[in-house]
Amino acid sequence: MDIIQLTNVSHYYKTYDEEGNSSKVVGVENVSLSIKQGQFVALVGHNGCGKSTLAKLLNGLLLPDTGKVEVFGMDTADRSKIFEIRKNVGMVFQNPDNQMVESIVEDDVAFGPENLGIPQAEIVERVQTALQQVGMADFAKRTAHKLSGGQKQRIAIAGALAIRPNVLVLDESTAMLDPLGRKEVLGVAKQLNQSGMTVVLITHFMEEVLDADLVVVMNEGHVAKTGTPMEIFNDEQLLAEVGLQAPRAVQLAKKLHKAGWDVDSNCTDATQLGGKVCQLLRKN
Amino acid sequence: MFRDVTFGQYYPSNSFVHKMDARVKLLLCILFMVGIFFVTSFVGFLWVTLFLALAIGFSKVPLKSILKSVKGIVVLLVLTALLNVFFTKTGNLLVDWWIFQIYDDGLIYAGKMFLRLVYLVVGSSLLTLTTTPVDLTHGMESLLKPLRIIKFPAHELALIMSLTLSFIPSLIEETDRIIRAQKARGADFDTGGLVQRAKAFVPILIPLLVSGFRRAEELANAMNSRCYEGSTHRTKMRVQKLGWRDAVGISVVVVVFSAIFVVHATKGAWSNLVPWLYF
Repeated sequence: MDIIQLTNVSHYYKTYDEEGNSSKVVGVENVSLSIKQGQFVALVGHNGCGKSTLAKLLNGLLLPDTGKVEVFGMDTADRSKIFEIRKNVGMVFQNPDNQMVESIVEDDVAFGPENLGIPQAEIVERVQTALQQVGMADFAKRTAHKLSGGQKQRIAIAGALAIRPNVLVLDESTAMLDPLGRKEVLGVAKQLNQSGMTVVLITHFMEEVLDADLVVVMNEGHVAKTGTPMEIFNDEQLLAEVGLQAPRAVQLAKKLHKAGWDVDSNCTDATQLGGKVCQLLRKN
Repeated sequence: MFRDVTFGQYYPSNSFVHKMDARVKLLLCILFMVGIFFVTSFVGFLWVTLFLALAIGFSKVPLKSILKSVKGIVVLLVLTALLNVFFTKTGNLLVDWWIFQIYDDGLIYAGKMFLRLVYLVVGSSLLTLTTTPVDLTHGMESLLKPLRIIKFPAHELALIMSLTLSFIPSLIEETDRIIRAQKARGADFDTGGLVQRAKAFVPILIPLLVSGFRRAEELANAMNSRCYEGSTHRTKMRVQKLGWRDAVGISVVVVVFSAIFVVHATKGAWSNLVPWLYF
């Protein structure tokens, strides 16, 4: 079932030059996309390609100038449904420090349910569950700004989960993290997806799209291609055009395959590839 | 340069006073500050001293951190004391030298004013030392809640305060980063006259302002995404329950200050019988 449906969506920004003349800048243009229940969707593209604009269109933070965004059949332009939509689409942003409302971890996670007017006992239960889901239950009473980037971002995810959304949108939530933090956040996202959550991951790290069901490549406000990770990695012309590179392991596998090695050219796992290469070397 | 800035002066502990409800502590602190102005005799100050000693003892806050906050107003203390000493012209003349006359009343007034100011600071810093800023804002919010009838935005005010508190560490970090970035480009903050130094801070303030706005926008987006719509039908996770500690605290303060108020109110009637009480 399609839970999010974008039809010919365009959104433009206004910018002003030094004389005060306004001009239109494309955020996204003519984008159509549908996301199904339980899918892991990755939106990739270089900086300024419109992926963050697209994310903000998904829960009505931005409204389309033309076209339509529907979430569970509700139009985001319908202001009376906006809280219903935001209850269904949780969103986590790039900078963990800028989305903390309260300084104590559990208070911050409770912010969403408190806004919804949920009874106190249930908030406590939701906060606990959400923190367990992201593996941060032991940090409930801690001060948020003293945690690591990955931990803060997991708290932010818990804050979104406490609202019990159907879709979790991670808007470049890994961009500011170190490799370890990225791994933590990505692990949580995958785990949530396995337990049934629809996840939309927005990123410019190609390694992160490996496990996605659907990859959407954005370029200059348009959808350049949608497909499985392998379809995208194999389309070298597209990748060159949009300025992206397949993950290192994939690139290496392809090169080895081309050079006549007995390696699966669709191999995506670095460890697996390493093992295979070792095997081949030992044989020779 | 901002590394060692810590906000607030909370002294973490598990003491009796720490465990008291923030609202109760706030109210008692206000009562204390009002009450201290009704203390007009040294006997009364002895009472207050005993009370404060008791409170500090039960808060487990080292005397050093309390005196640290008194240090902040030393200039004010010395100034008020001197003014009182030299400008009171009643009582017996003790010293008469050149243009200075010191009367015994002046010394007594100065002493009382000095004690009053010190105790004001000690009392209020005991509140901030034993209550986290977060608890304080939550306490304030629930105390101000009844004012919602006259459309007073208690929740919004508390939210603004707690957002400010939680953004201070990241803004300090940001300032630090900008300063280092500008220094790396050859900015000079340490030499030149006052005007020049002030001008040198413009390249820090502007990026800080810009990033402040960016942060505010991101935060607004995050809050919107989490269904924030002001105080309408909002619930709270924290329940603030009064415990036996609060009852004990309230009783002690009420007893101490009732005594002070009674003594103050009956000054005319008793001063002949027990004059020492009013010294």
